[in-house]
Amino acid sequence: MPFTRGWGQTRSRPKTSIFRSEIMSLVQLYIPSDVARFTVSQLGEMGLLQFRDLNDDVSAFQRSFVNDVRRFDELERKLRYLRTQIERSDVDIYDFFNEEAVAASRGPRDIDDMEEKIGAHEDRVLRLTAAYKDLQLKHLELIENKHVLEEVSSLFVEISGRQQTAAAPAPASASRASAGGAHDSVPLLGRSDSLSRRSIGSLDAAYAGDAGGYDVEGGRIGGGHDINIGFITGVIRRDRVATLERVLWRSLRGNMFLNYVDIEEPISDPKHDEPVYKSAFIVFAHGESLRDRATKISEALGATLYHVDRNAERRQEELIETMSRLDDLQQILENNNAARINELTNVSEQLNTWFTIVRKEKAIYHTLNLLNYDANRNCLIAEGWCATNDIPAIQSALHLATEDAGSNVPTVLHELRTTKEPPTFVRTNRFTDGFQNIVDAYGVPKAGEVNPGLFTCITFPFLFALMFGDLGHGFLMTICAALLCIYEKKLAWLAKDESLRMFYTGRYIVLLMGIFSMYTGLLYNDIFSRAMSMFSSGWQWPSDQGGEGVTVEATKLGHTYPVGIDPAWHHAGNSLLFTNSYKMKMSIVLGIIHMTLGICLQVPNALYFKKRINIVHVFVPQIIFLFSIFGYLVFAILFKWCTDWYARDAAGELTHISPPSLLNMLIYMFLSPGSVGESERMFRGQAALQTVLLLLALACVPWMLLVKPFILRREHQKIISEGYGRISSHVRVSSEDDAPGGAVIVSEQEEMQEDDFDFADIMINQTIHTIEFCLNSISNTASYLRLWALSLAHAQLSEVLWTMTFLPTLKMSGALQPIAIFCGFAVWFVLTFSILIGMEGLSAFLHALRLHWVEFNNKFYDGTGTKFEPFAFKTILDEAEE
Amino acid sequence: MKEIYFNADAGYLEGVVRGYRDGLITAPQYMNLTQCETMDDLKLQLATTDYAPFLQNEPSPISTSTLSARCTDALVAEFQYLQQNSAEPVSRFLEYITYGYMIDNVILLITGTLHERDTHDLLEKCHPLGFFDTMPALCVATNVQDLYNTVMVDSPLAGYFRECLSAEDLNELNIEIIRNTLYKAYLEDFYSYCQSCGEPTSSIMAELLKFESDRRTVNITINSFGTELSKDDRAKLYPRLGNMYPEAQIRLARADDMDQVKSILEQYGDYKRMILSANMNASSDSAGGSDMSLEDIFFANEVQLNKDAFEQQFHFGVFYSWLRLKEQEIRNIVWIAECISQQQKDKVNKYTPIY
Repeated sequence: MPFTRGWGQTRSRPKTSIFRSEIMSLVQLYIPSDVARFTVSQLGEMGLLQFRDLNDDVSAFQRSFVNDVRRFDELERKLRYLRTQIERSDVDIYDFFNEEAVAASRGPRDIDDMEEKIGAHEDRVLRLTAAYKDLQLKHLELIENKHVLEEVSSLFVEISGRQQTAAAPAPASASRASAGGAHDSVPLLGRSDSLSRRSIGSLDAAYAGDAGGYDVEGGRIGGGHDINIGFITGVIRRDRVATLERVLWRSLRGNMFLNYVDIEEPISDPKHDEPVYKSAFIVFAHGESLRDRATKISEALGATLYHVDRNAERRQEELIETMSRLDDLQQILENNNAARINELTNVSEQLNTWFTIVRKEKAIYHTLNLLNYDANRNCLIAEGWCATNDIPAIQSALHLATEDAGSNVPTVLHELRTTKEPPTFVRTNRFTDGFQNIVDAYGVPKAGEVNPGLFTCITFPFLFALMFGDLGHGFLMTICAALLCIYEKKLAWLAKDESLRMFYTGRYIVLLMGIFSMYTGLLYNDIFSRAMSMFSSGWQWPSDQGGEGVTVEATKLGHTYPVGIDPAWHHAGNSLLFTNSYKMKMSIVLGIIHMTLGICLQVPNALYFKKRINIVHVFVPQIIFLFSIFGYLVFAILFKWCTDWYARDAAGELTHISPPSLLNMLIYMFLSPGSVGESERMFRGQAALQTVLLLLALACVPWMLLVKPFILRREHQKIISEGYGRISSHVRVSSEDDAPGGAVIVSEQEEMQEDDFDFADIMINQTIHTIEFCLNSISNTASYLRLWALSLAHAQLSEVLWTMTFLPTLKMSGALQPIAIFCGFAVWFVLTFSILIGMEGLSAFLHALRLHWVEFNNKFYDGTGTKFEPFAFKTILDEAEE
Repeated sequence: MKEIYFNADAGYLEGVVRGYRDGLITAPQYMNLTQCETMDDLKLQLATTDYAPFLQNEPSPISTSTLSARCTDALVAEFQYLQQNSAEPVSRFLEYITYGYMIDNVILLITGTLHERDTHDLLEKCHPLGFFDTMPALCVATNVQDLYNTVMVDSPLAGYFRECLSAEDLNELNIEIIRNTLYKAYLEDFYSYCQSCGEPTSSIMAELLKFESDRRTVNITINSFGTELSKDDRAKLYPRLGNMYPEAQIRLARADDMDQVKSILEQYGDYKRMILSANMNASSDSAGGSDMSLEDIFFANEVQLNKDAFEQQFHFGVFYSWLRLKEQEIRNIVWIAECISQQQKDKVNKYTPIY
């Protein structure tokens, strides 16, 4: 069984590291029901235990504690209501947080108290808000009334003023109006142009024709026709005016006149939360029934009607009265609002604390709903996963909870034996967390499996740096990341922003990437695409330049440049040739090393899961295969590097013919085994060695393909022939020592891992794996060439940027040069930062990610585990905040 | 060719609406809903659905009417999101969908006014998707002429109203006639609009609208039994489209009772299967009993058709179908809620399942 080894060690605290996930235990808790709440609360604070749902088949509202959940849902709703009220009235929510009240365990009485308080507050706020709304409504009415009075009287004044001057030509204008409804034909109801004005031709005509002189003030008709022209006034939303006019016009068949004035200031309508722009309007219509109709229509369209007297003095009185009432109301409104704000301020001090408590309590009851009652219902039974190392901590938490509850019946914890796959818990810290996330994004490690996260911590930034090698860029990156790391507490808010979170959580990755880039930059001898001459170069350029277009050759001095690439290469005509060949070979060498590490990691896996067969018949042939082809290539690369191909012997003759092409060597190793061209030869016995290696590699293929499946089949047949059948796979889950009362959770029937032996299946899988490995060893090696390609691209790009933006300004002369340098530098720096560090960095990051996920991980990593998600208040509260 | 450009105009909306469709309540969730004992349980269960944001701030003893209102709010919010993000030609299509609600609102207001109900109450009962500017003014209309001239003339429904103008004054029967005439004109117009949208919208919408038309035809027939509506008038109300147009419509116009309707329906394969599968109670001749179940059959069939509309891409039918399915879902929730609040648990399973 895979986990027996882990189990054997449980008693003596297993060591933990990031190399493997923690050893987990399935524990069972017998919690006396009166301590249950305290226990779960305490466990939630610790965040060490992942509860299993023991009531999978029970729907949400049939569980035991659903009423409590509902109670806290209700409380949360009340709090939400209070918070919206607080936000709406612009009261600041205190950040004050009563740690003590939140952290300490709360008795049921505390909760009742809190519930009562919240209820009372909600009641009061509800009442105050209702009263406030009432008052606001009255206030709104008065304000609208005031506006109507003001605007309408201005209308009247206007009209009567015009009337005196225009009374005489009225009959004449009637004919004109009926002809065209001209604008100036309506002295009676016209308004100055500054006010918005609508008039409808035929009505105007009717008026003018009928009346000739209509004394609005007196409300009688001057011309002697006794037509009862009345009017209604009111306020309506500005965007409805047109509709109102249109509908009235149609339904009264044009026998009306409407005029309106926009009320300048927005009116806050308590029914809507935002201020609304409104207009005051007046509608004239004659006849009782038409007026009724108009009234009905305007009301249906959402207008509020106000009575306005015809008499100017009375209107004035009314206005004054309205104003004074408005003042009074304003006073009351302010008082009321002050009381409300006061109440809300009181609430706001506690709000965050209450929210936290309520959310915690809700989480507690949600968790309690996962638990089972024992037979006589005085115990709750919990099951869950925890790290074996954390069991003592959990036990002490259980003690604490029992004490808190003042009970003397202790909670009993025991470990269960199980064949269930435990969740994977990798204990990370601030530093390793980011790297582990990279691994988890590919797949969570299976329990006990080697966790690539450990190696990723170094290989990831290193591979990145190979592609991003530039001392200057690396330095800037390091500075940024270092700032994030130094001020990480202060900058924690960055984690809340979705796009910045990536940088914040990955700050240690970026830091390492920066430092490693500085290192590789030093090796490549690149700082913002410039070379550094820190030591004396190993080459010397001839002192006489010879003039333009003449090729000069540097002469070699006696020593080699101590670190990295000689700066003399930097401007050499063949520098690209040199760096390309160098970086390409370096990529291959590092790639093979990286993959070898991946293959070797199969060994600890096989040892841990006790699968010797995986070492002998998987690991060994694989490593032989890889080494006999690509290991030999690496050897050849190193050999070629170490040989001085232009060395001359004493007689001054070249000792070697010419440097061989390694690519050809590899190709002809397959195409014409056993012979090496004279010009390609590197050392004696090369042909024989190549033949042996080739044969070795070829021999490994059937080894990988066939041996393991046949061994498995033989073992299986042995078991069958001994008569064991499949029983071995049925290990029952049971508690180690039977609990008092014998209440054992029944979880045995859950899916057993049946390892049905199907030879065809295994054979097919093995074929796929073998083909995949052989092909991959070629394609993956080629894939590491991206290290070279990206680093080339990076170097060229920064070179281009330098020569295109900054360099010209340095070559300038004259007074403008300082300004040009300033601008040139600005452009260069901004582009360096955004394109070279930002975008190039991102692309190098992605390529490094791919090299880890595809080239490295597929050599040994399953990544089929599930993540350990302990019940912790911290995560629950964080989620609720978002 | 159209498919190439489809996503430029409607791709986002189609994605959204398919997302909405996936939010519809599924069979296991219905199972949970039907097992609820109280309205609070129901609220708790609905908290895992798309309705959660609309229900979570309701104080706890929740009534069926609030539940229904909040659910409709959810529907309206989603539809309005679609409308706000739409451009031609989707916006036009969505507008067409709202006309149906406008007709319902108009009829509601006229009927309400006829019974002298308070205008503001009536306005609150109107479906928010069917609001148009001049709608509130309907309350003053006392005859059809008036109605048209005052209010309808510049509403989108004006064109549909033309055929109603012959009716003289407003009474119960006339209002029903107006409703059906309007709906008939609407369906025909919508149908011809969909035909102009090109494949595959036209064929998919044709199927849906034909079904709708058939359903209305049958409903009109059944509802006109025992009223003073003459058979000729009845025939005039049938939409001039559908699977049963024109042969069966002529016969339906002459039908006198449920049995005749059934026998006419049975000549159509789809409807025959529908009726058989629901094994209508032959003994209940009374229009009321079998009418009810016929409606349910139609609902079930409609659901199936609307689900089928999602099987194809690059057409507007999904918007229509999603709205219909969502409406059906709200009807289901309200039905379940009513059963729970009235303690009629034995009838709770008579909802129309969707997914």
